[in-house]
Amino acid sequence: MVKFILKRLFYGILVMLGVIVINFILFNILPGDPARMMLGQRADIASVEAINKDLGRDRPKMIQFLNYLNDLSPLSFHNAINPSSYWYLDPLKYTNATQLVQFSKSAVLVVKEPYLRRSYQSKKPVDEILIEGFINTSVLALVSMAFAMILGIVIGIICAVYKNSWIDRVSVVFSVLGMSLPSFFAAILFAWLFAFVLADYTGLNMAGSLFSVDDMGRGEYLDLKNLILPALTLGIRPLGIVVELTRNSMLEVLSQDYIRTAKAKGLSPRRILIRHALKNAMNPVITSMSGWLASLLAGAVFIEYIFDWKGIGLVIVNALEKYDFPVLMGAVLFISVILVVINIFVDIIYGWLDPRVRVQ
Amino acid sequence: MESINILEVSNLTTRFRNENGYTIAVDNISFALREKETLGIVGESGSGKSVTALSILKLIPEGIGEIMKGSVIYRDADNNEHNLITVPEKEMRNFRGKEIAMIFQEPMTSLNPVLTCGTQVREIMRAHLKIKAKEARKKAVALFEEVHLPRPEKIYSSYPHQLSGGQKQRVMIAMAMACNPRILIADEPTTALDVTVQKTILELMKELQEKHGMSILFITHDLALISGFADRIAVMLKGHIVEQGTATDIFNSPSHPYTKGLMNCRPPMDIRLKKLATVEDFLKAEGKDENGQLKVLFSPENIESAEERLTRHLQIYSRQPILEVTDVKTWFPSSYSLTGKPLRMIKAVDGVSFQVFPGETLGIVGESGCGKTTLGRTILNLVKATSGKILFERNELSKLNPAKLRQIRKDIQIIFQDPYSSLNPRVTAGSAIEEPMKVHHLYDSRRERKAKTIELLELVGLESNHYYRYPHEFSGGQRQRVCIARALALNPKLIICDESVSALDVSVQATVLNLLNELKRKFHFTYIFISHDLSVVHFMSDRLIVMKDGKIEEIGHADKIYAQPKSLYTKTLLDAAPNFSGHMK
Repeated sequence: MVKFILKRLFYGILVMLGVIVINFILFNILPGDPARMMLGQRADIASVEAINKDLGRDRPKMIQFLNYLNDLSPLSFHNAINPSSYWYLDPLKYTNATQLVQFSKSAVLVVKEPYLRRSYQSKKPVDEILIEGFINTSVLALVSMAFAMILGIVIGIICAVYKNSWIDRVSVVFSVLGMSLPSFFAAILFAWLFAFVLADYTGLNMAGSLFSVDDMGRGEYLDLKNLILPALTLGIRPLGIVVELTRNSMLEVLSQDYIRTAKAKGLSPRRILIRHALKNAMNPVITSMSGWLASLLAGAVFIEYIFDWKGIGLVIVNALEKYDFPVLMGAVLFISVILVVINIFVDIIYGWLDPRVRVQ
Repeated sequence: MESINILEVSNLTTRFRNENGYTIAVDNISFALREKETLGIVGESGSGKSVTALSILKLIPEGIGEIMKGSVIYRDADNNEHNLITVPEKEMRNFRGKEIAMIFQEPMTSLNPVLTCGTQVREIMRAHLKIKAKEARKKAVALFEEVHLPRPEKIYSSYPHQLSGGQKQRVMIAMAMACNPRILIADEPTTALDVTVQKTILELMKELQEKHGMSILFITHDLALISGFADRIAVMLKGHIVEQGTATDIFNSPSHPYTKGLMNCRPPMDIRLKKLATVEDFLKAEGKDENGQLKVLFSPENIESAEERLTRHLQIYSRQPILEVTDVKTWFPSSYSLTGKPLRMIKAVDGVSFQVFPGETLGIVGESGCGKTTLGRTILNLVKATSGKILFERNELSKLNPAKLRQIRKDIQIIFQDPYSSLNPRVTAGSAIEEPMKVHHLYDSRRERKAKTIELLELVGLESNHYYRYPHEFSGGQRQRVCIARALALNPKLIICDESVSALDVSVQATVLNLLNELKRKFHFTYIFISHDLSVVHFMSDRLIVMKDGKIEEIGHADKIYAQPKSLYTKTLLDAAPNFSGHMK
């Protein structure tokens, strides 16, 4: 198992390298002058050049790429003395740097946190912006996935057991509806229905984030009720899919020979269903839901926009509007890391569900 | 001494739903199982034998099939009678697994792949006997030991896919024996296993029966297999029991023509028939002239004498070989390193050399995994040989350019094992046969090709109006005929039959074998006949190769190998093959 995980990590790092290269090329062929964006249209040439020098944009592209890699890599080379060098080990840029080797008076090898640079707009470090957004997004994504998985699996099992009964037919109709409902439409519909028309009964807000700012000046506080509508809206499509997948997969498993064996052994129907059938039926559900979770973590743009949920999707939309390249580049890398990590986790879950996957 | 009936089935009728109404799968059958005896139920696919077994335990899938009428009376240890048909589902669970246990045909699919063998045995005890988990574990390990599984502790925590087929079936038996049932229903328990494994499983069942004194209901399609095993036998045909009686009576004086047919359509090992009797012959001849077709089948003219065979062989083996296989190895990588280099190899075919002469039938026999199928595919170049030379009419196949190879492909054809999956379900029989002609530009016009196809259909015993039919409209035997016609479409010289009759019922098997031989006589084909079935290979082959672990164990004239096997493996293989000798006098 350890060997398997190491192998997957190795492939994951290869994927990340590829993403970094493509990321760099894409954002360097796009038009736009960051210095002008930061200073506005009426800036003088001297300050534009100063900024470009500070960003390292006066160097050849190849050197820029190496700088970029050096910034990202946890192991990197720096100049420890000269503050005017681009390679200067600036504590404002590189946090938690620990010196490993000193090559000469100035050149050092250090371990540090990857440096994603700063936003052109807010000047805040990109990693701070992303992590803040990611916390909000992941709460939303995990809650909506949990809602979809738990409810979906239960309904799916009920449908499979009572196949062709009214409850099955109703659920199938609703799951198809749920699957085909576009999320932005569902979001607007739910916001209008539950937070406007029925607002007196539900007490929900049309929009809002995980943390609200208190009007009385007591600062930020956790506002969990704002989670309900976006989570519900996000969960509807996965819910439909989980119901459908669980139902069909259970139906297939229930017709297998080993279920007949379990019956012939005189086991109780509940044990047959849970112990023998469900574990076998989970594979397609896990496959499809891991993809969903990954894409939700990467930002549910529409939903976050409509409910003004300060997640990673909203960060990306705002950065796109303003050509905030460092934020966008950072977001691409961040999302890739999430996808790679989730895929490794899913492979581990497969191994746990089905012992046949464990042998390579 | 008349022992009591532990199970009495009377007037049992079960039906299944299909597209247009219902089919009666089991039609008003009655039989009884006595204490401590073995009752064999013999029948071919669709005869209703498995449905009978499932009906007894009420395991017929709901909504698809139902028991219409009849009773199944089970007499328990205290002499109380229970009609299982009317017992409510909740109570039925106390009979399943505890009083009546069942083992199934496919040990590969009948065990749950995601639970350990130990868990699966333990849970049946926990369901029926009031014992603690720890005790159940101990008992399960003891059971594994009783069914002669090696290292029972290890098996306990193994998953089914880590065991061999025979071991899985032993786990199934251990599971069935866990609560000391009084009746064991075995539904084709050895059909999916190799002959040598089959023999050991049967021995194990006999041993357990004697030790625990249970009754066995043994369901099989193989009359020879059951001959040495069952005390009494019931023969089923199309949902009816056509004959039942003691095993000795049935084998010595079968009364129903179907039983007679079943006994005679298996190729005999001692004499060489030119044409096999088929079940159909017996059903047709019933009550009619004794001088008809049946008589011909048993007349000396139908037996190929040793002299006839010798002269034929002299002629064949004086020719130049059509195919020469020299030191062929076909290896598959089984695991890879991080950089994608193969680390370990499975040696499917490992250094095999032989020749095939025009006009002969070369049999290749061996158990599953011996490499016989890979060898056939390597000859066809469907799988690339890792090393070695294959010469077809002196052309080395691996060195030919694609155009030339295509030309030679036409001369070598294959008939696969499973006629269900080797025909495309969306292509009519006619187009399936025509397609290779088109690919090889054999005839000029469509009309010519169609005429040729119809000719082929008739040649293999089908009709011209079958041209437009889809595979699902044919029976298994008919499909295999379509596959044969497709192989013949290119006028090949060499035909490889890869387990071509293994998926067919014995009665159908005989007619297909007869067809293959008839075609060979007519067109002077050369066959490579691959099979796991010793009697079928013996019937078909002039010479024979016995394979084991990718290597040739023995090669020689078929009769000679059967009479005096040189290798120990061949001998065990021959000993394990079921035959009627136990009961024939």
